[in-house]
Amino acid sequence: MNFVQNFPFFSIILSMFSGIVSSVLPARAAKWLNTILISVVGAMSAVLLVYLMGTGESYVYWMGHFPAPWGNEIRAGVLEAGMALFFCVIMLLSMTGGRKKLLGEVEYSKHNLYYILVNLLLSSLLALVYTNDLFTAYVFVEINTISACGLIMIRQNGRTIEAAVRYMIMSLLGSGLFLISLCMLYDLTGHLLMSNIKESVAVLVSHHQYSVPLMTTIGLMCAGLAIKSALFPFHSWLPDAYGYSTVSSAAMLSSLVSKGYIFLLIKIFYRVIGFEIIAESKVINVLFVFGLLGMIFGSLSAIRENDIRRMISFSSVAQIGYIYMGFGLGTESGMTASIFHILSHAATKSLLFIAAIGLTDVSKGSRQIVDLTGAGYRNKIAGFAFTVGSLSMVGVPMFSGFVSKLLFAEASIGHTYKMLPAVIVLAISTILNAIYFMKTVIRIYVPERRKDCEVITIKNEKEYAVTLVCFIVLNVMLGMLSQPIVQWIHTGLSMFG
Amino acid sequence: MNESVTILFPIFFPILMGVLLLVGKEPKKKALLSRYTGGVLLLTALMVLGLVWGKEVSFTMFFLTGRLPVYFRVDSIGKVFAFVVTVVWVLAGFFSFEYMKAENAPRRFFGFYLIVYGILIGLDFSGNMITFYMFYEMMTLLSMPLVLHERTKAAIMAGLKYMFYSFCGAYMVLFGLYFVYRYANTLTFTAKGVLDATLTAGNEKLLLVVAFFMLLGFSVKAGMFPFHGWLPVAHPEAPAPASAVLSGVIVKGGVLGIIRVIFYLFGADFLRGTWVQTTMLILSLVTVFMGSMLAYLEKGMKKRLAYSTVSQVSYILFGLFLLDPVSLTGSLLHVVFHAFIKCGLFLCAGAIIFRTGKRRVDELTGIGKEMPVTIWCFTLCSLALIGIPPASGFISKWYLCEGALHTKTAVFSWLGPVILLISALLTAGYLLPVTIKGFFPGEDYDYAALVKKEPVKLMLVPMVILAALAFVLGIVPEGLIRQLSAIAGQLM
Repeated sequence: MNFVQNFPFFSIILSMFSGIVSSVLPARAAKWLNTILISVVGAMSAVLLVYLMGTGESYVYWMGHFPAPWGNEIRAGVLEAGMALFFCVIMLLSMTGGRKKLLGEVEYSKHNLYYILVNLLLSSLLALVYTNDLFTAYVFVEINTISACGLIMIRQNGRTIEAAVRYMIMSLLGSGLFLISLCMLYDLTGHLLMSNIKESVAVLVSHHQYSVPLMTTIGLMCAGLAIKSALFPFHSWLPDAYGYSTVSSAAMLSSLVSKGYIFLLIKIFYRVIGFEIIAESKVINVLFVFGLLGMIFGSLSAIRENDIRRMISFSSVAQIGYIYMGFGLGTESGMTASIFHILSHAATKSLLFIAAIGLTDVSKGSRQIVDLTGAGYRNKIAGFAFTVGSLSMVGVPMFSGFVSKLLFAEASIGHTYKMLPAVIVLAISTILNAIYFMKTVIRIYVPERRKDCEVITIKNEKEYAVTLVCFIVLNVMLGMLSQPIVQWIHTGLSMFG
Repeated sequence: MNESVTILFPIFFPILMGVLLLVGKEPKKKALLSRYTGGVLLLTALMVLGLVWGKEVSFTMFFLTGRLPVYFRVDSIGKVFAFVVTVVWVLAGFFSFEYMKAENAPRRFFGFYLIVYGILIGLDFSGNMITFYMFYEMMTLLSMPLVLHERTKAAIMAGLKYMFYSFCGAYMVLFGLYFVYRYANTLTFTAKGVLDATLTAGNEKLLLVVAFFMLLGFSVKAGMFPFHGWLPVAHPEAPAPASAVLSGVIVKGGVLGIIRVIFYLFGADFLRGTWVQTTMLILSLVTVFMGSMLAYLEKGMKKRLAYSTVSQVSYILFGLFLLDPVSLTGSLLHVVFHAFIKCGLFLCAGAIIFRTGKRRVDELTGIGKEMPVTIWCFTLCSLALIGIPPASGFISKWYLCEGALHTKTAVFSWLGPVILLISALLTAGYLLPVTIKGFFPGEDYDYAALVKKEPVKLMLVPMVILAALAFVLGIVPEGLIRQLSAIAGQLM
């Protein structure tokens, strides 16, 4: 076995241990540990990705050398390695972007608690990405929920506590449903390892046995993860949770936490149930419809919103809708589009959250869009970054959002019945996106001299500016170099099979 | 078709140079700025002319998704547009060297001016719809800084209005694009259309709706009713050289889009005689009349010219929607002529503002005595725009009317020429008073206070060239007509 193959295990265990070690470290050291950890895990994922690209096939890693069906397994293919790398990049940028702000948002004594939570979040995300065992996935789903809750609540005011409680209730409902479906699946197949379940499910389906319980299981599993990733109409927890938590938390919650669950769902589609069975089931039609509804209602709520952070949060609901719409098409190209959108949305949404905080900072901390008048002149880099993010969300060529819209359209036109609704809703949602994002961009560039607001230049916020520039570059890269990325997704999906 | 990388140079060279100008340091000498810009403009112009007079070449840059490449091709229609863009861009550019001395931040202006030039060339040489769409959006986005250059509240609002209208139009196009892609297998521009007859069978109604949306989307940029609202706000707010190129060639981006959609994606036969054609003809005629009426009522000089653009570009659209080779020739002629004429008119208006600061038409009494050459240029351009023979506008309007009479469309074959005539009358009504009042100020004009205010040669020469082109092309139009009617013949 090649040494590189240990890296997924190393990444998970390193981030867990760093979480534990952070609890006894002073805040400053915990900060450095966290930064180093994310970079190291990112570097390892990158090496693994290169290695897997070279060998061209995925591998299964036995934890403790217990063979299947008893042992616990980790599985790594190019898609997993690439996703882990991407998550690390986004997390690192989100942390550096909100670093200075964190001092004001969270009591200093709680800082190392914050880093513990971030490390645990990373470990659970990595485990969700890499695991080949459904029950391990469940365990890490719970760890993920708890650390996300902590990240919301750590900024202590009434709003965040309420948001965290809401998030907790909805999330636990989701994981409850997931657990029930997991039990049922175990009952039906007698296995917990993904590859073994898939074999048994194939046998069940070919003999037409237990078709109703199996369908129920699939439905519950999708519903559970849909609630956790805030698919419309289960999004009620989202705007408060993203809107009032610290900026780094908001960026990570929107671009990583929900995406971790979605990635798990993709793995379940491909590795647990089998994509053909999913594609033929009626469940994906339900996902399709709710995806479409989310695309419209998320944007409508965002239009009505006057608070910039909550507006961006509602836009997430719409974007999650896009992803589920892609699942709902039930084709390989739809899946590719959805995975691309996971990347594109993660890169854009965290950019928007971090840019928005720069804009509110120069408007006396007010988050009302009306008060942001002229903020784009007072904090030039944040204004520019917000504009780039908005353009990407609206789907202007050169930025990532355009490519994902193109991929969605390309995927949907291959479909007989779902083509028309998908394309029409895509068009409507694009216009709605344009309405509220352009409205905000217009607002921040309306010239107004306000003497009472401070001005932030790039010189006195270097770290922040560098983060935003990295985000912008990432966005443009996704927009311009889409071809290799799509190729990578294809390879990854074929390795899943 | 030859693969040749040379096609990329005139697109990316000015873009690169523009970006360098924007991110670089402020030069120590002001003159350096205009020398640099002028050099880049001329070099690019040479490259474009090389392509225009060379063979048809193409180049595939990279693939966006599995089957959609970013693909450039120099074809006959692209050559016409690229030529027009180049002439207008270089002349207005040289005009702006003097004009921008009075404005803030000339470096920013020239930077974006160069970038947009490259993008327009890319737009003209796009070989498929997705490349076209990309450059179309970039054109909107990067020409916006030209509109809001003066950074006043009105300018910024105008810029944003421009962007909002254009984006909404572009999305209608994108929406249609998905469907065309579904029924065509390719988006590469092909004369007479790309639709696959086996796939489209039974879906004609849907495709007509799609075509309607795409045409409507591009007509936003061309300022057609009911989406003309941004044009008279955005064009006058920009500095004069920018308004000249906006009105002269950037609106033609929308026209090119419509040509590409009708003749290169759907094919003229697909649309002939359908409700889409009828609706579009009605809308364009309404715009022709409404634009000149509003221009007639408007008192601000640049705003009047902007309304005139609304009206004149719809002449072109009317000719396109008739789907007739003769009227198409007329439209293409009008594309060329209107670009030169409108650019000339805006430059004259800019020169007047630059020297006297007068922005309203009723302030211009006696202006012909102060700036005789400028007003002579203005007069020649006006005559050409009205369509008085032998000036150029006459030729294009002649072809438009002949085409209209030639088609068998029930009402439009006579209604079109009538409205075109009325509009020409109104054009005379809103342009000639400037000349008349300018040269014949009346008895109470104080000749003693007369000061010569003619601008410097650098400003005069571009105006004179444009006015001469507007006039001379009307006297010797055979070569141009032959070229353009050959293109029109290929497309139908």
